[in-house]
Amino acid sequence: MSASGYAGPHVVLRWANERVALRLPVRGIAAIVVLSVLLFGVLALSLTIGSYDIDVATLWATLTGNTVSTAIDNVVWQFRFPRALTAALVGAMMALSGGAMQNVTRNGLADPSLIGISQGAALAVVAAIIAFPGIDYSLRPVIAFGGALIVAVGVQMLSLQRSGNNTIRFILIGIGVAAFISSITSALMTYGDIHRAMSALSWLAGSINAATWNDVNVLSLWFIVLFPLILALSRTMSVLRMGEVTAVALGAPVRLARYGLICVGVGFAAAATAIVGPLGFIGLIAPHMARRLARSGIGIHTVLTALSGALLVSVADLAGRAAFAPIQLPAGLITSIIGVPIFLVLLQRSAAKQHL
Amino acid sequence: MSVAAPSVEARSQGVSVAGIPLLATLTVLLFALHIAVGAKPLPLSTVWEAITARDQTIFDHMIIWDLRLPRALIALTVGAALSVAGALMQGVTRNPLADPGILGLMAGASFAVVITTYLFGPSASGWLPWIASAGALATALVVYVIAHMAPGGATPLTLTLSGAAISAFLAAIISIAHLLSEDTFDNLRVWLTGSLAGRDLAMLQITGPWIALALGAGLILARQVTALTMGEDVAKGLGIRTGALKIQLLLVVVVLTACAVALAGPMGFVGLVIPHVARLFVGADYRWIVPYAALIGAAYLLGIDIVARIAIPPREISTGIITAMIGAPFFIQLVRMRAK
Repeated sequence: MSASGYAGPHVVLRWANERVALRLPVRGIAAIVVLSVLLFGVLALSLTIGSYDIDVATLWATLTGNTVSTAIDNVVWQFRFPRALTAALVGAMMALSGGAMQNVTRNGLADPSLIGISQGAALAVVAAIIAFPGIDYSLRPVIAFGGALIVAVGVQMLSLQRSGNNTIRFILIGIGVAAFISSITSALMTYGDIHRAMSALSWLAGSINAATWNDVNVLSLWFIVLFPLILALSRTMSVLRMGEVTAVALGAPVRLARYGLICVGVGFAAAATAIVGPLGFIGLIAPHMARRLARSGIGIHTVLTALSGALLVSVADLAGRAAFAPIQLPAGLITSIIGVPIFLVLLQRSAAKQHL
Repeated sequence: MSVAAPSVEARSQGVSVAGIPLLATLTVLLFALHIAVGAKPLPLSTVWEAITARDQTIFDHMIIWDLRLPRALIALTVGAALSVAGALMQGVTRNPLADPGILGLMAGASFAVVITTYLFGPSASGWLPWIASAGALATALVVYVIAHMAPGGATPLTLTLSGAAISAFLAAIISIAHLLSEDTFDNLRVWLTGSLAGRDLAMLQITGPWIALALGAGLILARQVTALTMGEDVAKGLGIRTGALKIQLLLVVVVLTACAVALAGPMGFVGLVIPHVARLFVGADYRWIVPYAALIGAAYLLGIDIVARIAIPPREISTGIITAMIGAPFFIQLVRMRAK
């Protein structure tokens, strides 16, 4: 985490006679704290707001284990809590996936839902649901991972060319692949049993409605495995930002890091997609938001990216659930509506400075 | 446009002229086949009989006149309209990736239809083409302005990206409107996947004259489009008022796209693929590309719709799904070939 190149005040922690020193940028730490507080606030809000409003005191009592009434217990523990946690986890995972893809492709517009990775995961899951209706729920992320990985490698291979990578070309090919895969998914839904297709349809809109503790467990497991990996790879990531040639010259294991990052990015996107369906544009926005909040080293940036994504999806889910109650809008739709304008603003800058 | 030596010009024109009756024959054959094939296969002789000597009492004739003929006519019209719209867009923006779907016009047209239905209830179908046109026109302008503002201007890349983004945005709002109003959803769900099933001739009677008018205008303007593809300066040097021409072409494209969407819903990638196929036969001269695109597009959509109806009986796949399945790989290959 070389932070020496970044402006701004730092706090340097020293231990053991200066043999261990940790230089922390104040702004980065402050941003992490602020985002965490906001995230907790939104989580608390989403536990209280709903068709059955609960005041904060009752909520606190329920969370600390005192049963105020079984109905409230039920609402909080069975419905709202897993849903809020799922939203936050999925957001963090899509954000990290986007961050990883943006680093690998050195392209600020790379987003797993734009270049077909989410669609690949979705197609794999829909195909599995229709072909083997009784498929085990916990296998879904693995199937999704397979589909997403094939798409990620395919898009990379299709956009490879002798004269280096053109980043916007990569996105365009990704858009084409995404359209192709979506059409196959639609065709499968027409072909498949209408009842199963309808359940797949609500899932495809990126909805967090039906989250359970089982979902939270699956997501946490993937998160706990993948997050340390992305942190471990982040050192090489920061060198990769300077360009592949420089990174090789500096002795970074570029090839290994690229493949590792692609796998981790795809893994995050696949697990999130398998649970809630495709969730647009979070992978695009969150890394940029993190960069805006604090220009910091890659480690802090990774944490900030995860927190931004978690916050965005939590807010989107809350808004989708509260705005037109009792009708629930899938969070994926809200994130698309927020994400597209930001994508267009980024596009305005990208052509001049291809690596954002 | 007479850069080539006269003899070459004459010969290539001869080939081009010869192609028209061939393609027209192919289209007519597919048209007849389209009517003959289906859940109840009918011999071609019956089709001929039904069209030439309609007898209200014969059941097969009723099938043909009430169900199959409207659908075949609509497939034909939509295929021709979208292909010509795509060809003109590719010419005027000098962008090989231009297509009414990719650049967001279809999303705009669908959006306008869905939102007006949501806000004011199902509107009189006579208004539908105009609502769709307004949506397509507004979206086309927004996409162009966004791409134009990006550094480097409105290149194929920025146009495609802003088109895709605007489409995603409008699609999200359409989904929300669906969720908020189940009625709208039920009426428009199948329509929105680009389907030719269950259409009657009423909409074709409304949109038909306008499509014919726009196709005619496209044929007349085609000559100037050829000059425009050689660059704005060349076109101006040849005495073409490029500003006025572009506005005329935009209107033609918008009317064609909107009428096609009103007829069959968004049918992706037809306008992308067909003009390139037409170019394989007749080169870069839009006087020939436009009629070729119209004929090939009509034949193509008839063929696709036959496949859509017989691929997995007794169900049928939405025609728009198949056009996307074929068109998307084509798009990818175009990006691979054309982008620097």
